[in-house]
Amino acid sequence: MALKINDNGVTRDMTADEQAAYKAFQTDTAAETEAQNKALVAKKAAQKAVLDKLGLTADEASALLG
Amino acid sequence: MAITTFTSGQVLTAAQMNAVQGNDYNQTVSTKTASYTLVAADKGTRVVMNSASSTTITVNTSLFAAGDTLVLQNIGAGVCTVTAGTATVSSAGPLAIPQYGSGTLYFTSAGAAIYFPSAVTAATVSSGLVVVKAETAFSAVSSFTADNVFTSSYTNYLILIKFANTSDATLNLQFRAATTTTTTNYNYNGYQMTSTTAASYGYNASQSSLRLAQTGGSSVIGYCQANIYSPQIAEQTGLIATNLRFDASYASPLAQGTTGNQNSSTQFDGFIVSTSAGTTTGSYTVYGYAKTV
Repeated sequence: MALKINDNGVTRDMTADEQAAYKAFQTDTAAETEAQNKALVAKKAAQKAVLDKLGLTADEASALLG
Repeated sequence: MAITTFTSGQVLTAAQMNAVQGNDYNQTVSTKTASYTLVAADKGTRVVMNSASSTTITVNTSLFAAGDTLVLQNIGAGVCTVTAGTATVSSAGPLAIPQYGSGTLYFTSAGAAIYFPSAVTAATVSSGLVVVKAETAFSAVSSFTADNVFTSSYTNYLILIKFANTSDATLNLQFRAATTTTTTNYNYNGYQMTSTTAASYGYNASQSSLRLAQTGGSSVIGYCQANIYSPQIAEQTGLIATNLRFDASYASPLAQGTTGNQNSSTQFDGFIVSTSAGTTTGSYTVYGYAKTV
């Protein structure tokens, strides 16, 4: 099924160029989101490592820091 | 009646007294059907313009004295403009009088007047939010575009979007110039909050787009407002956006905010919004922030 675009108010099938651009957008966005998620996971792991070293839970750290 | 000069010893008639008094309660009116130059006899009267075409009222010096006042009114379809001839005319508001508008002309000296327009001003909308792209509906699309919406008329813009997606995905914004989409140099950071969690999704440099919204799946309705700064100026284009969506039972609100830019000096005239997965249905409107009051 052809992908649809609303082009300045008119809904139509995407052209081949538009489909290629959209696929590239999806690929780029997926890669960027994955990188963001990995960075978040790494950040949380680093935070947990520090908390473990201090012997605190995340809730205790939140209570401490406000 | 127009102002009359009485002389010492003159016997005033009842008709003269009634006429003088009458001007206080039923002002003398002179109607003009073409552009007009004020004369001394207009002092204290109401000059009414009535023309289907544009007209002017010209104000010259040495006809009036400090403290003299007259009312200017327009009942014609043509806009009448108060125009300084040899006198100066100052005003905090517009000098154009629209149909059924009026104002007071007050002289501070023989050669200078101040025009005080009534609250009604010319019909040109020049303040507040101005719609530059009327509410536009889209249905089951992967992307929607709005070209030729950023112009030199406005510096900053507001985009309001209502959306419902078939997939739990993101809506992303990219800017366009002459229908060509820019896919690089986007930088943003942001946050995401639910009723129980709050998280930053960090600073993300050199991205291919700006994240506008987290959609949620099952066609739940969400809203996004995006302020766009300086898209038509040859400098970075800024974005401050927030969005909100609920789940299918209108519970569990999720709020998200994004601040970012497109870090190039490209002058953009439009944008494209795409969903990272599924299709989206909804509507959008684009407004320009007026630059003057």
